[in-house]
Amino acid sequence: MIRGRLLVLVVLGLSLVLLSLLFFLSGGGGEAVKGPPPNLGGNEPGSHPGIPQLKKVVLFFLSEADELLHPEERVIVSGPTPEREAGRVVEELIKGSRQGLISPLPAEAQLRQVFLTKEGIAYVDFSREFSDQHPSGSTAEMGTVYCLVNSLAFNFKSIKKVFILVNGGEKETLGGHISLTEPFLPNFFLIAE
Amino acid sequence: MLPGRHRILAGLAGALLFSFLLGQGLTQIKVSVKDYADFSRVTLESSQTLIYTIARRTPGAIEVSIDSANPIRIQNGPVSSRIIRSVSLIRQGTRHTLSIESKTESFNFNYYTVGNPFQLILDLREVERQAEAVSPRPEEKKPSPAVEEKPSLPPPQDIRRPAASSPSASRTIVIDPGHGGIESGAKGKFGTLEKDITLAISLKLKSIIERNLAFRVVLTRDKDVEVGLPDRAAEANNNNALLFISIHANGSYQKSSRGSETFFLNLNATDEDVRRLAFFENTQTELQARIAAEQDYQDDIKMILWDMAQAAFIRQSGRLAELVQAQLNGLLGTANRGIKQAPFKVLTEVACPAILVEVAFLSNPEEERQLGSEEFQWNVAQAIYQGLVNAIREFPAEDSRR
Repeated sequence: MIRGRLLVLVVLGLSLVLLSLLFFLSGGGGEAVKGPPPNLGGNEPGSHPGIPQLKKVVLFFLSEADELLHPEERVIVSGPTPEREAGRVVEELIKGSRQGLISPLPAEAQLRQVFLTKEGIAYVDFSREFSDQHPSGSTAEMGTVYCLVNSLAFNFKSIKKVFILVNGGEKETLGGHISLTEPFLPNFFLIAE
Repeated sequence: MLPGRHRILAGLAGALLFSFLLGQGLTQIKVSVKDYADFSRVTLESSQTLIYTIARRTPGAIEVSIDSANPIRIQNGPVSSRIIRSVSLIRQGTRHTLSIESKTESFNFNYYTVGNPFQLILDLREVERQAEAVSPRPEEKKPSPAVEEKPSLPPPQDIRRPAASSPSASRTIVIDPGHGGIESGAKGKFGTLEKDITLAISLKLKSIIERNLAFRVVLTRDKDVEVGLPDRAAEANNNNALLFISIHANGSYQKSSRGSETFFLNLNATDEDVRRLAFFENTQTELQARIAAEQDYQDDIKMILWDMAQAAFIRQSGRLAELVQAQLNGLLGTANRGIKQAPFKVLTEVACPAILVEVAFLSNPEEERQLGSEEFQWNVAQAIYQGLVNAIREFPAEDSRR
């Protein structure tokens, strides 16, 4: 009995020595031993390292039929911040509809930046083509404004108002009509049933 | 009996004469002449309201005849002006004539009065002879009375007011032809530019108003030039305008968009702004008292009031929009797009009832063709005119501002 116990202890001790030997031999570069980070963070089920998280959003485009804003779903990459997600929504709006609806954001326009304040005002800064390439006209300008404002406010609870900037600064009007000197509240009455 | 009666009569006559001399005395008129960017202004400021007639008997002079039992004394310094050579007084019994001599014969002028202290203001503007010859667009020519044709619609109802019924300070209507210069606004498929259409309609509306009403009409531009949006509002505010009408032609992403609509300002206010606005509207007198009491905050509060220049007139602007839209539907017959609110920059700083009319769509080829036609433009002007007439009838005759 006692001999058997001793044997077990010796085996355990030997294996401990062997393990520690192994550890020190391979452990020349200490940092390299650390496990790959994705595995450490991989608490969520179904998440695969390297594949980004996706998010479904609703964009609003104009229709030739009734002048209202019509929804169109899109899948965008999610995170890391609401600003980045909002930026992706704006870029999708510029790319235009896949269902034959009209995008009232000039295709030549480029998004420069989206900045979101604590008060919920999203500052969306476009390149100068946003106004230079705009066809002007009151109805056209309102289409552009509310396509953008409604799309952002609808998808992001943290966005209450949208302030449109052009080329980094405030612009008096979009095309000579609608004022861009104040932030816009969304207008959901313009959305088709 | 007889000597007594004489004495009473003599006493009465003496008292009458005395009170007459005491009450009337001398009428002082202060004359000032000042040059502005594109006109020269003669201001006659008087201690008493003047009864006057104005005539241009010779091409180079304007005569202001003043009827006054009192002796008139004018107070004027040396005149130094681009357009005005001199201002002088000629007496003929009780008739006094102020002669305003111009350096040029090619000028036009308009005049208006402001009350308390009484001021008669005459603006002389040099006529650009070249502009008409060079102008590539016929509709930009100022319609001279001889050229004016009757619009195809029935003649407007005359609501000419008796001269004494309303303060002359309220009698300016400002018409704002949208865009101008390098800023051409919406463009049609066939090349029609919004700025040209708005000017053509505005000039026609001006001529209809001037032919039928005793109002002075000021255009924010009368040729193809760029005018800043704040300057357009300032034109209304500086003239103490009764109404401000901005004229536009619409443009849309959808080719099928058609019809006319009338806008008034949407302040895009938050709940808090709306509450603040309601507070000011309800307690104007309290506010006035507070302004007097709290000298320190005076400028701040004035700024707030100025921020909301149009806010105080939103209700009247809405009604004006309704009345004009009704005529666009009825007289003009374009599709009714209704009255709407939107944050139009040009309306924000206007301190009187103000609307922006969007007549038909340049983005719609059929309506672009219509907008280019003289007849359609006359009909638009006529419809807007009729809406204005209805609004003027409805709005209180006195100045709505205090």
